[in-house]
Amino acid sequence: MSIENSDKYIVLDNAAIGYSGKTSAVKTVKSDISVFALKGELVALIGENGVGKSTLLRTIAGFHPPVKGDVTICGREIGSYREKELALLMSFVSTEIIRVPNLSVFDLVSLGRYPHTNWFGRLLEEDEYLIEEAIRSVGLNGYENRMVNHLSDGERQKAMIARTLAQNTDIIVLDEPTAFLDLSNKYEIVHILHQLASEKGKTILFSTHDLTTALAEADRLWMMLKETVEQGAPEDLILKGSFDAIFQSKHLYFDQEKGDFRIWKQTKRTAHVTGQGLALDWTIKALVRNGFEVIDSPEQSTVLISVNYPEWTINHLSGQNKFDSLLSLCRFLILNEKKVYL
Amino acid sequence: MSETAANKRIKSTRSFRVLLLFSALLPLFFLLDLLIGSYYISVPNILKAIFRTENADSQVLMIINQFRIPKAVTAVLSGAALSVAGLQMQTVFRNPLAGPYILGVSSGASLGVALLVLGTGGLLGGSIVSVASSWGIVAAAWIGSGLILLLIIMISSRIKEIMTILILGILISSAISSIVNILQYFSNESMLKSFVVWTMGSLGSVTNIQLAVLLPSVLIGILIAFLSSKFLDAFLLGENYARSMGMNILFARMMVFLSTAILAGSITAFCGPIGFIGIAVPHIARMALQTAKHSLLVPGTILIGALMMLVSDIISQLPGSERTLPVNSVTALLGIPIVIWIIIRNKKSDRL
Repeated sequence: MSIENSDKYIVLDNAAIGYSGKTSAVKTVKSDISVFALKGELVALIGENGVGKSTLLRTIAGFHPPVKGDVTICGREIGSYREKELALLMSFVSTEIIRVPNLSVFDLVSLGRYPHTNWFGRLLEEDEYLIEEAIRSVGLNGYENRMVNHLSDGERQKAMIARTLAQNTDIIVLDEPTAFLDLSNKYEIVHILHQLASEKGKTILFSTHDLTTALAEADRLWMMLKETVEQGAPEDLILKGSFDAIFQSKHLYFDQEKGDFRIWKQTKRTAHVTGQGLALDWTIKALVRNGFEVIDSPEQSTVLISVNYPEWTINHLSGQNKFDSLLSLCRFLILNEKKVYL
Repeated sequence: MSETAANKRIKSTRSFRVLLLFSALLPLFFLLDLLIGSYYISVPNILKAIFRTENADSQVLMIINQFRIPKAVTAVLSGAALSVAGLQMQTVFRNPLAGPYILGVSSGASLGVALLVLGTGGLLGGSIVSVASSWGIVAAAWIGSGLILLLIIMISSRIKEIMTILILGILISSAISSIVNILQYFSNESMLKSFVVWTMGSLGSVTNIQLAVLLPSVLIGILIAFLSSKFLDAFLLGENYARSMGMNILFARMMVFLSTAILAGSITAFCGPIGFIGIAVPHIARMALQTAKHSLLVPGTILIGALMMLVSDIISQLPGSERTLPVNSVTALLGIPIVIWIIIRNKKSDRL
């Protein structure tokens, strides 16, 4: 199926990104980037630290021009837009934490109306309605008069997203919106972004280090590798094996089944586990964490463990031991290495 | 919707009430400032001199019209101008310690005055000092600060990073101060004294004719600040956000720098460098009005700045004595505790 070009809200065609000063030489961070994002898509940009994610986002946001090639926003070359025209199409959230004393959530969000209001920034009834609506859609209703400096990290990030909604743009670009957040806030923010993309038809591009949320919610991944930038649905990239290349580290590998990275452990020791249900699953996880490979055949394994929650039994050469928690079981396995193994 | 809109209304009326309170206090302190001086004039006489001039004592009338009113008006203008300039610099540089002189405007003015008082004095002999005491000093200071403004605008149109401009401003100020120091080093005692007296600031040396120049200058500077209030709001989030919301950065910077230089430059030219009002007042305004919106903060800083300056002037008169203090020392001694208090308070409630 071919894609209409008019649906491609962000297009990079053989673009090179980097910095160019008036006097200093051009410093190219990455070249030959060809990716795009469609209307209504949530796009996650992933890649190692220092690979150029922020530079890419800042180029798309129009802060510095591409070194080479074309960056096209809604069908027009980005350099051809005036600041105000671009501000009506695209809004931006940076990694910077905003600390402005005495700035209320309402006033912060109302700044999003900047390109729409008159010279003095007077808010009309319609503006106020859109601001309230924006605050509501990120779940901050009731926070209007709270000071931004008194918000938690997650609430502040929601307020920043509400500001982009008040700006009422088709495209929203966010640089690591979940960087400082705890797990539940991470999920919540990415979920809000997902809803905005699917329900309001906004094209949302965000960079992240958090693969789990990106894999769970993003429609499209832009994966920045050392040499290239790949794009596709998260599942496509998993099947292609692209994830193995993302972290060029000997200690990490990508578990294609679970869709997550694992740390390589030396697994000389093997265990066979019998039991059922959740308790069995978590016992296996605990053993893997402690460097065991869990295998199917009891004959080849060094330890035999049976799970009968809330009790665990280890059968070994010198007899049998019972445990009431995984903590004590693991502790026993580590401390009695010699004695236990078959 | 209706509930939050109501909340918002409550809040903006709060800021509004504070503004109203300060505007009511202003004429009160203005009168108080007229009342106090080395020559005692009773309250009824002062009121008579202002409102019913035909019945007033001619000597009292002269003192009020020629000295006390110009001085009080100058206090109002300088307080308002320096505070608005300081507010703009704190917002644009996103630095709570920025003030009206951060761009080097006042050191430019100092250099102008130093060249006039110390430089030409050295060449032509001491007689020039008396000529230089009024319009000459004003013109020299204005030219000095104007040149610095041009330099800053030239730099800021070439440099993207706002912090670089801040650093360059500080460096230029320091370089100019060194030149002023060299001039001081090579000048004679009486010239040195007249220069040092200028650096201490004075509200009383502004004549009615000079006010006719100072007043429109300050009004123009304040008008530009009012016109920039939307830019200033966007600057709060930093220049990247401001640009992403559609602001033309170079134009906005130009407006703000122009306003600041006109305000700080004119006041420095006529009154000498007056410190700390410009740093302290914006903080007081933010706290009193509980807002970050410049459409409220600009009028707020104007009122509070004018009040602070009137109070400083009253204190510098040392009520009940015939001596006066240099107003610059009073503003510093009044402003510094306020800034310290604000910093400590903010740390406590984690607001900074």
